Formats: sequence, C-alpha cells, structure tokens
Amino acid sequence: MASIDIRDIHKSYGKIEVLHGVDLAIKDGEFIVLVGPSGCGKSTLLRMIAGLEEVTGGDILIAGNRINDLAPKDRDIAMVFQSYALYPHMSVAQNMSYSLRLRKTPREKVASAVSAAASKLGLDPFLERRPKALSGGQRQRVAMGRAIVRQPKAFLFDEPLSNLDARLREQMRAEIKKLHGELGATSIYVTHDQIEAMTLADRIVAMHGGVVQQVGSPLDLYDRPANLFVAGFIGSPGMNFIEARYQPGEGSPAARLADGTLVALPHAYALEPDTPVTLGIRPEHVVIGGEGREAAVELIEPTGFGTILHLALHGLPFKVFTTDRKVLNAGNAAAVSFPPQHLHLFDREGARVAAL
Amino acid sequence: MATTVIAEQSPHRRPLMQRFARGSEPYLYSAPALILIVTVMLVPLVVGISYAFRDVQILNPFSGGFIGLDHFRALAEDRAFLGALRNTVWWTGASVLLQFVFGLILALLLDKPFTGRGIAQALVFLPWAVPTFLTGLNWAWLFNPVIGPLPHWLHALGILSEPNNILSDPALAMWGPIIANVWWGIPFFAITLLAALQAIPRDLYEAASIDGAGPVQRFLSITLPFLAPTIAITILLRTVWISNFADLIVVMTKGGPADRTQIVASYIFTQAFTRLDFGYASAIAMVLLVLLLVYSMLIVVLRQTLLNKD
Repeated sequence: MASIDIRDIHKSYGKIEVLHGVDLAIKDGEFIVLVGPSGCGKSTLLRMIAGLEEVTGGDILIAGNRINDLAPKDRDIAMVFQSYALYPHMSVAQNMSYSLRLRKTPREKVASAVSAAASKLGLDPFLERRPKALSGGQRQRVAMGRAIVRQPKAFLFDEPLSNLDARLREQMRAEIKKLHGELGATSIYVTHDQIEAMTLADRIVAMHGGVVQQVGSPLDLYDRPANLFVAGFIGSPGMNFIEARYQPGEGSPAARLADGTLVALPHAYALEPDTPVTLGIRPEHVVIGGEGREAAVELIEPTGFGTILHLALHGLPFKVFTTDRKVLNAGNAAAVSFPPQHLHLFDREGARVAAL
Repeated sequence: MATTVIAEQSPHRRPLMQRFARGSEPYLYSAPALILIVTVMLVPLVVGISYAFRDVQILNPFSGGFIGLDHFRALAEDRAFLGALRNTVWWTGASVLLQFVFGLILALLLDKPFTGRGIAQALVFLPWAVPTFLTGLNWAWLFNPVIGPLPHWLHALGILSEPNNILSDPALAMWGPIIANVWWGIPFFAITLLAALQAIPRDLYEAASIDGAGPVQRFLSITLPFLAPTIAITILLRTVWISNFADLIVVMTKGGPADRTQIVASYIFTQAFTRLDFGYASAIAMVLLVLLLVYSMLIVVLRQTLLNKD
C-alpha cells in the first residue's frame, strides 16, 4: 500500500494532446474513482500509472518514488482489465498464481496466497477450471483474484464491470467496496458510470476533455458541482439547466427567466445586476403541485421507485423525478416550483458562482 | 410435364409413374453434380490405380496386360525408389522446418508496428505469387557460377572451397531445391502465423507485463500457446504438400546428379514421362498415396484432439 502522486501529467499522441496537465494526490488506502465520458482521458491516465502508456510530461510517484520510466512489472501495481485479460490456456489457479510464479515465490507461499484469495472471492470450487468454463461474474472475480494475490502497492481498475449485466454489476460493485474495506489498498478505478463512481469512491475525480473538472467526495460533487459539466454528469436523471439573468433585488435576490418571471434565490451573489447565469436544479428537487409554474407533461417514465416526468417548461425540455405516484398523464399540465436551497448558479463560463 | 400428360391419358398407370417420379426425384436433382464428380475424380483415379496392376509402357505396343502385383515386387527391390523415399523425408523435413522457423520470425517482426510496415508486408508475400517453375529456373541460374552470383559469394564467405554449381555436387545438390523451396514457402507460414498473432488480444500482453513477465516469458506463456493450434495444422498441411511437390526439383535438377535429389514425386514423374512406363509410375504413386493417406489420418485425429481440448 502506498500513496500515489500525479504531478502535472501531460499526454500527447503526435500533435494531439489528450491530457492537459493533471494533478492529483492520492492518499494511502484511498479509493479514487476517475469518471467522465468516453475520450476524456481517464483510461489513458490509468494506463500511464500502470506503465502501459508513456508519460509525455510530468511525474508519477508511488510511495514517493518517481516511476515514470519503470517497467510495469517494477511498479508493484496490479490491474483489472475491462476484458479481464485472463490467460485462456491456464486454469483459474494458474491465472492467479502467474505473477507469483514469475517472481519465483516458494511453492507453499504461492499455494497459500492463491487459496486465501480464492476463498475471499468464493472461487474455491473453480480453481482447476479454465476461464472459458466460467460465467462473466466468475471471470471478473478471477481477474480480481489475480490482482490481490500479489498484495501490490495499488490496484488499478479499468472499467471492470462494463461487461457485466446490470444485476451482476450491482453485486460486484458491492463486493469491490467490501474487498477494499478488508484490504484497505490504494485503488484507482476508472468508469464512465456515475453510479459506480458515487457508490465506490472515497473521492471522485471528474474528468472532461483531458482536464480534471472537480475532485471531491461523492456528495461534494452532488451537492456542490464545480461547473456545468460536473453538474450535468453526476446524478441521474441529469440536472435541469435554465438560462436566466441575475437580479440582486432588495434583500430578495432572484433570477429572471426568459419569460420575465422571477425565481427566488437562496442568497445574494457577487454578480452585477442583469448578468447572464445558468440556473441548475436536480429533477428530484423540483416540487410538483401547489403554487408554481405551469408546465406541460410530455412523457412519463415510471421506474417503480419513482416516476420521471418529461415536461415542457416555457417550451424547453425539463425533467422532474418524483416518488409521489400521483396520477399525471402525458398531456396534463403540472405546476412546478423550485425550492431556493436546491438551486445551483453557474456563470457564463459554466463555473459555479459562490454565494456572498 | 411429360409425366402429367401421360398420367392424364391413362389414369390406371398414374400411381406407378408418380411413385417412380417421386422416388427418383432426389437422385435426378443430385445427378448432375454426382456425374461430374465421378467423371472428373473417380474415373481417372480408378484408371490410374488399374495401371498399377497392368504393364503399361507407351513405347511397347504389346504391353497392357494384367500382371498382378509384379510392379510392387519390383518396387520393393528398387534401390532408386528407396533412395527417393529417403530423399523425400530429408527434402520435406528440411523445407518445412526452415520455412516454419523463418516464417515465424518474419511474422513476429511484421506484428510490431513500424513505418513502412504495409509495404514490407506486401513485399514479404511476393514470393508466394511467383510461379514455381519460374522460381526453380531463377534459383537454378542463381546457383550457376557462369551467370549467378551465389557460388562466388559462397566461395568468398569460405562456405564453398571453389565457386562450383552446388546443383551438380551430389553431396550438396539437395540444398539447391530446398533453398528455393524455403524462399518460395516462407510467405505461407508468415501469412498464417501473422493472422494468428494478430488475433491474440493485446491486453493479455499488458496483463502479463504487469504480472512481471519479460519478453521471453510473454512469448512462451502467451504467444506460443495461442499459436500452437495454427502451428500444428500448418506444419502438418505443408508436410503433405511439400512431400508431393516435385516442380522445383524437376526444373532445377531433374532428380540428379545420380538420383541424389530424386524424391518420390519426381521419381514418379521420371518413370511416367521420361521412361514412359505408366504402369510402374502408377504403382509408385499408389504407395505414395497410401503413405500420405496414413499421414492425413494423423492430421485429422490431431486436429480433433486440438479442437476438443479447447
């Protein structure tokens, strides 16, 4: 186990720069999730830490030692691949022990490490099988077993659950979290799935376009997204955005919407009057019924736990999530209102505006 | 149509005619293909095999009679045939082994990305496109000290004591066709092995490099196991083809000097088309056929076990 420091990391393929200076300090034993849409550079960053991609600029330190130029095998890390990358001609036990055998570990030690890992992951009955004879979830476990037998300084996960079905993904997610609790090893986990990010991470690193957008605890990112990208990426269904202009008012700050109506804000902001801003509110925070703005219901999606309403508010698409099973049908009108404490305010560049 | 017309005229015979038509229908449908296969494949085979038991000599108008197993008795004592059998093993073994080794090296080199790889791949596969008799002629000339550079180079390197034609040296002559065959056959192994190499998932190598495997260990524990089925099948197939492959030998040495490069396939060719003894040539061909059938059976069995293993 060890800390990992990433200092001003750049990566270019020819003239195309895909990582524009990433800084990240990962504490010993921390579970970090790199999240972002495809092509944001999260996998590239992980592969650079693993040593599978060359570092164009900057430094990577594991336990304080610069490892930029070390071969992957000398970095003492383990990686779980999206495709699992199990050796198809080796049995489960051979797959798990391969790294130990390469390091000329004594036979008894190898056997005990493998059986310890196997029992931790519930793989005991399958040790003599080939990966081909295993289900997706079992293969996933073997891939994890291969990583944990070595007790490396850090675990790297590259979208390890993407190839599993939804039910299994949920189950493995919980198992990974439990395993991390038991082993306490520094882990870096790459995913495009914000639910995985929210549920697993000690800290989430949200990335977009090769730049880190925000680093923080899951609830930090949910409650106080640093910019429009993070606000829209974290949370499902995604946050609603409404263009507006800031009105300081006299002790009652508000935002004026395009139709001239006012939305009350929780506090005053350090903005000039009439500054264009973007209001954000999560679908689950919108209040339906009572006094409010009129919106047309265009579509309803019942999820069982609640209902997603697709509305047209001032002609713009707007989503509301409610656990209230009040009968609303497409074509009905609904009254929506925005509790001020749940409103987010972003400036023209998309950055969160801090309250005064 | 004819059946319907008849059936309408004589209602009593209708069931019989219809039954006949129904019964013969599948045979009539498959007849064109069957007739074609029988005439093209089976008839020549049967005629060829029948020659082996008859005295068929083109230059002897009184030949053609049935002589039973006389050809096979003669064959058992024919020292030229036994020599040809030995030469076949040597020719096939050396050619296949060298083609495989160089083909594998080439495939491994072409698997790595480098600038100009596309052109290199195209060039490497070029020999395969050269007709074999042209290949044979080219190499025969290259080995000819009057017009070819090879004997002089080999002499300069100290491999040959004098710049002579190795094709006329009984001790070395076999190397001539073998070298030509290796040059011509490398692309086959390179193509098939390269295809197999490129089918190996890259992340296995990445996982292995993180697990601590160096280049040699990665080759031994990932590349070789993945290539093994392809290697087994291609080597076995090539063995059959090459042991049958007389073109280069006929063009380059005609089996000489002193039968030192005579393989069974070229011996058949010599017996049939130089001595014009078709009967004896057919008898030799039958022996070769049986040997190759046995060998092919081994391939089929091996293939099955390889496939069942996965």
